[in-house]
Amino acid sequence: MERNTFSYKLRQILMFAGPGTILFFCVVIVPFIYGLYLTFTSWDGVSANKPFVGFANYAAAFSDSAYWIALGRTAIYSIFAVVFINILAFALAYLVTSGVKGQNFFRAGFFVPNLIGGIVLGYVWKFVFNRAYVAIASAITGAPATSPLATTGGAMFCLIFVSVWQYAGYMMLIYVAGFMSVSDSLKEAAMIDGCTPSQAMRNVTIPLMRSSFVQCIFLSITRCFVVYDVNLSLTKGEPFNTSVMAAMHVYNTAFTYKNYGMGQAEALILFIVCAIVGVTQVMIGKKGEVEA
Amino acid sequence: MKKSTMKKLLVAMLSFAMIFAMAACGGGGSDSGDAASSADGGFTIFNSKMEIQDQFEALAKQYTEETGVPVEVYYSQDTVSAHLATKYASKDPYTLNMVDAKDIYSLAKEYGVDMSDQDWVADTDYAISVDGKVLGFPSSIEARGIIYNAEGIKKITGKDFDPASITTLDGFKALLDELVKGGMEAPVAIMKEDWSLGAHYLQQVYEEREDPEAFVQSLYKGEVDLMKDEKFNSLMDTFDVLKAYNKDKASPIAAERDLSEQGLAEGTVAFMFGGNWDFAEMKKYDYIGGAGMMPVPQNLQDDYTGKLVGGGSKFFYIDGSENTSAEKQQMAKDFLNWLVTSDAGKTFISDTCGMVSPFKSNDVACSDDLGKAVKTFADAGNLVPNYDYDPDDHYSVLGAEMQKYLADQCTREELATAIQNYWKSVTPVEH
Repeated sequence: MERNTFSYKLRQILMFAGPGTILFFCVVIVPFIYGLYLTFTSWDGVSANKPFVGFANYAAAFSDSAYWIALGRTAIYSIFAVVFINILAFALAYLVTSGVKGQNFFRAGFFVPNLIGGIVLGYVWKFVFNRAYVAIASAITGAPATSPLATTGGAMFCLIFVSVWQYAGYMMLIYVAGFMSVSDSLKEAAMIDGCTPSQAMRNVTIPLMRSSFVQCIFLSITRCFVVYDVNLSLTKGEPFNTSVMAAMHVYNTAFTYKNYGMGQAEALILFIVCAIVGVTQVMIGKKGEVEA
Repeated sequence: MKKSTMKKLLVAMLSFAMIFAMAACGGGGSDSGDAASSADGGFTIFNSKMEIQDQFEALAKQYTEETGVPVEVYYSQDTVSAHLATKYASKDPYTLNMVDAKDIYSLAKEYGVDMSDQDWVADTDYAISVDGKVLGFPSSIEARGIIYNAEGIKKITGKDFDPASITTLDGFKALLDELVKGGMEAPVAIMKEDWSLGAHYLQQVYEEREDPEAFVQSLYKGEVDLMKDEKFNSLMDTFDVLKAYNKDKASPIAAERDLSEQGLAEGTVAFMFGGNWDFAEMKKYDYIGGAGMMPVPQNLQDDYTGKLVGGGSKFFYIDGSENTSAEKQQMAKDFLNWLVTSDAGKTFISDTCGMVSPFKSNDVACSDDLGKAVKTFADAGNLVPNYDYDPDDHYSVLGAEMQKYLADQCTREELATAIQNYWKSVTPVEH
């Protein structure tokens, strides 16, 4: 069979990439374009008619102070969560590749939180903060303790804490792969050349693991920016709507307050912000990648 | 075994696995009832009261046995309007839809069938009409007030509790002090949920006056000074007293609804602001009896003293879009009539579900203690009507402000200013 013809190549592409492309088109591209169209309407989410309003939704979104506060809050939450997730994940990965006893057990153990859905996780931790913590703290101090979820700063702390706990194990796996990909001979060579173990780590292992960092930071940033499930089940935006993250605000605007078009416009802004942050970070990270 | 046979076997197994996985995925999503059109020859009902879903299905079965008309009852955990929106988007709406009063003004206004000619209309004061057409069939009456547990109070004071004896805030406070002295350290529970504080408690400020509509309109225009408003101050004075005796006073925002309901059911808490729907929660615990409802005690004595706030709740409308045939619409109408006139329907509402029937001809006793109390107020004409035209984000935005006030994070002046500023900032709801 002639393998260099156009039709042959086309058939090959259709066969291998076709199903995926069609699916991607149907479940991502089409809804995205339809969503884009809805941002130009004042649809309430229920009605049969979708009046066209031009850019009014974008104007409303830009002047919706609650949305920008939520977005700023999400940025702060993401910064803290991303930093701590990655520090902890890296430390755990180092620990479970350094040859401690039962390291496979630990790897599995640290990964487990990631297998629990965000909603369940939120309820479990809510119980821990609201009841267990309060009971223990009251017993220790002798005075009635306040649940951290009931205070403004406390609720944010809890969200960050739970996210770190949830994602650190997952990112750990990527770092573990990174550690294993650096061959021992390179580290040995560095040691023979007079490096201390920490110097070898800093100058040999970490630069070679750069792609793991890029991946982990990208994954954690994008996940943190669109956090919704933990937000919903752990704090529900309380107290006083001070823990409403951007995604929750978008949901409320679109469905609870029945401003579908405006919610959709805000979702688009969130998507653009998230994409810019994620792509910039990957570009910066990729630049300095080295190979052994 | 030959290599090619192995391969074939592997392929077969893989495809089975995939089909199975897909079937499993499909099964997971069926709770929303994508088979709404499957009631061939019959009609479909959307139920938005989760706690009566089992009973409702049993009723549908009974109805089919009696009349031969197939009925299917669906429930969804989604927000009601969001769920119905997806059904309309897929051109597969339910024939009969149970929604909240607010939704009648939006959904039923657009899709609902005019039921003005139905016999039951004359039998109730709680149907909703929009533009002269009766669109909403009330399934029950719900009212808000202070829930009490007379048994719990009696245990401390040693006397029978008569709710009618509490007519002022001062009298209420005296009883609370007596309870504290008797050993019930914190006789009050306050729900911190924004819908309870915002849409139920604060809402009374608009509702307990002669012309709520005019008051809300002047709020929109920014003409109201709440700090000078008698009703606002009177209700907030009561709220201050509730706060002072709150069992979660140390951390009111961490209060959990189920613990409060449990306390109320078991008599360790004497009072909580709520509504007759709370009984569904209370009876899950070791309920000791004695629950009832009384008006929110205020020192301001006016036309609303001695009344609960409430009215019809959970309304049915019949879909009149082109997706539902006239035949199905008629079936739904027949069903609603059956629900009002037949013994089975009456028993279902009042006894099986413990709801307060909004129909005068329903003489079956309500099986639920809070419902009984509401029924007494309703029969005596002592219900202040609901105001149903708040902006959609009202409960959330002002609920958060009420939470701040509950947690002593703001003064009454600041709360009043926040409420006034909110109303000035929103677009008036057309109705």
